[in-house]
Amino acid sequence: MCDFSGKLIAWLDHELAAEEAAEVERHLVICAECRTGADAYKRVSVEFDAYCDAAMTSNARRGAPRWAAVACAAGAVAALVTLFLAIPRTRVDPPAFHLQPAMVATSPALVSAEVPTSVSPAIRRVHRRRANAPVQIQDANATPEQNQNAYLPPDGPMIQIAFPADEMFPPGAVPEGMHFVADVTIAADGSAERLRLRPRLAGFERRTTLP
Amino acid sequence: MSGDAARLALPLARLSTGASEATNLYRELRKPLLRYLVCLGLSSDEAQDVVQDAFLLLHRHLASGGSQENIRGWLFRVAHNQARNRQNRYDRNFSAPSDAEMGGISHEATPERAVLEKEKFQQLGKAIRQLTASERDCLLLRASGLRYREIGEVLGIATSTVNDTVDRAIKKLAEKCNV
Repeated sequence: MCDFSGKLIAWLDHELAAEEAAEVERHLVICAECRTGADAYKRVSVEFDAYCDAAMTSNARRGAPRWAAVACAAGAVAALVTLFLAIPRTRVDPPAFHLQPAMVATSPALVSAEVPTSVSPAIRRVHRRRANAPVQIQDANATPEQNQNAYLPPDGPMIQIAFPADEMFPPGAVPEGMHFVADVTIAADGSAERLRLRPRLAGFERRTTLP
Repeated sequence: MSGDAARLALPLARLSTGASEATNLYRELRKPLLRYLVCLGLSSDEAQDVVQDAFLLLHRHLASGGSQENIRGWLFRVAHNQARNRQNRYDRNFSAPSDAEMGGISHEATPERAVLEKEKFQQLGKAIRQLTASERDCLLLRASGLRYREIGEVLGIATSTVNDTVDRAIKKLAEKCNV
């Protein structure tokens, strides 16, 4: 072991006095062992630095603990079950007013409600019949007789997009069969005016009493 | 985190002297402090809290006419003590990056290279965990850009002891990682 090996790291850290540093530099020219050592210590220092950076990035990405997502999902399921049991399920007739073909043709909201081609394949658009749904997006060219479920909403037209739960939560965080429905209200200029995200359980949809 | 900066900049701005220096200090040292605290084992949120507390204490220290010598070492010492208090309660250790982060270290495109990098990183992580707490602290503070004298002040040890500890720790890592 060379006598200078104990000074190499301090030299790399610029912690030696000028005279001592010059002495180490003169020695490095003639000692291959110390040159190799200095290179190795420098590499370890750089890797340690990268390791710390990775630990920090990893910690920041972890963010909220996994149990928080599970607790949120469990809470949503409990709320759904409570609602399902508590709310009496009665048949609700849709309003008598039918959408006129002319209105359908001129409504920018209905025209813009077509799903854009750039939408990710993971996002599925579903048409669901709901008693209190403002409007169902259907074929704009259909006659009022064919389009029995189309009626004007109290607060603007709406489309629904179903998101698989796995797209938003870590795998296993949300019970199987659960997905989320986004109610998007389209403004007159065609832009998205309001977005509401609601959790849904697949089993409950089949039991709906809606028409 | 501009919100944090704005919140902190307000009380610091009331200082009669060195207001802009204090704000610059916050901008300069916030990230190294956070990284140091996270590597000590604190969560990201806890580290943010400790950094906020440390800068509020700095404000009080300066407002009460405290010494303006080696503010960087002073801040790290306060943060280090607060982190150690929290760690005593929770008994945590050096934070390790996730597998995804380890894989992301390499900028090489080949999967073989990425696997090798990951293995090397895991080896380094194992070697770091085998270091003594004092050796880890010295290396972390050194990686945060502190001089040996400042590290000594933070940890309450002599500069020569820091020199020996850093020397020993780096040599251990180099030996165990076959660098």
